Amino acid sequence: MENESETRMIVIAPTSDITPDRVVRFIHSLGRQLTIKETCYGAMIEGSKKDVREALSEVRKLDPNRIFSKIRGYPIGDTRRCRAHHGSRPGFTQLEKEWKDLSLVEKGLSAAERGEKVKEPKRKEKIPVKKLRDIIEEVKE
Amino acid sequence: MKVFIVPPNSLILYDLVERFGHEPLSVMKAIRERVTDLEIDSPPLNVTPEDVKKGLKYAGVEVPSGIRGRLALWGPLIDQAEAAIVMEDPPYSFGCVGCYRTNEMVKYLLRKKRIPILEVPYPEDEEGAKRMVSEIKEFLEGLK
Repeated sequence: MENESETRMIVIAPTSDITPDRVVRFIHSLGRQLTIKETCYGAMIEGSKKDVREALSEVRKLDPNRIFSKIRGYPIGDTRRCRAHHGSRPGFTQLEKEWKDLSLVEKGLSAAERGEKVKEPKRKEKIPVKKLRDIIEEVKE
Repeated sequence: MKVFIVPPNSLILYDLVERFGHEPLSVMKAIRERVTDLEIDSPPLNVTPEDVKKGLKYAGVEVPSGIRGRLALWGPLIDQAEAAIVMEDPPYSFGCVGCYRTNEMVKYLLRKKRIPILEVPYPEDEEGAKRMVSEIKEFLEGLK
C-alpha cells in the first residue's frame, strides 16, 4: 500500500507569502523520489504514498495554516486532463473558488488554534403577532 | 475514522478532515482507481457498464443515468463511511458536483446509515469561516 502512487495538489492560500516556486524548490531539496509540477495555485507532487505524505508534512511546516492539500484522481500530465494536450479541466472552476476562500479558512484555523470563541449566528425570529396585526391594519387603511 | 465529505471533491473539507486526523473519503480516490487501472480502457472518464449496474444498488432504474453514474462512484464510499461532513449550498453547483438530485440522494443515503453527520454552511465571510472551522474541529475531535 505504501508503494502505491499518489498525486497531491498543494494549494497555497492567496494571503500567504510563500510562492509556488519556493514550494517546488523546497520539495526538490528534500531529495525524495517525486515528480513535481509547479502550478499557478501551488504545486502538484506524485510518487509513492509514503514519500508524498512525508514531503507534504514538511511543506506544511512552511506556513501551516495557509498551505492546503488534497489528492488528485488523474496523474500529473495525464493526456486526458493535461491542458498541454488539449485535455479538459472541468474541476478548475471549483478549485479556483475554493482557493479564493482559503484566506477565510486560514482565519478560521488561526482562531481555532487560539481557542477563540465564535459568535452564534443571528437566527431569524418569527414575527410577533402584534406586529403582524399592525402591518395588516396598515395595509387595510 | 473514515469521513465522507460533501461535496466529495472539496479541497477545504478534504484538507480539514486530514488535518484533524481522520481519513477523508473523496471522489478523487474513486476516480484514481478508474483512470490508473490498466484493465479499464474507455477514456476519458472510464465509466463502464459495470459501474452503471453498481449504481443500481443506490438508485432505482427509473432514476436518470447521470445520478446512477455518480452514485456508482460515491455509493461505495458512503458504504465505507463512519461519519460525514456536508457543506450546505456550496457556490460551485456545477460540474461533477452540480447535480442537485444526486446531492439530495447522497444526503438521504447518509442519513439512512445513521452515522454522525455534521452539516455546515459554506463560509461567506470571516465569521462564517471561523464558525465552520470550529464546528468541524469539534466534530472531528469528538469522533472516536
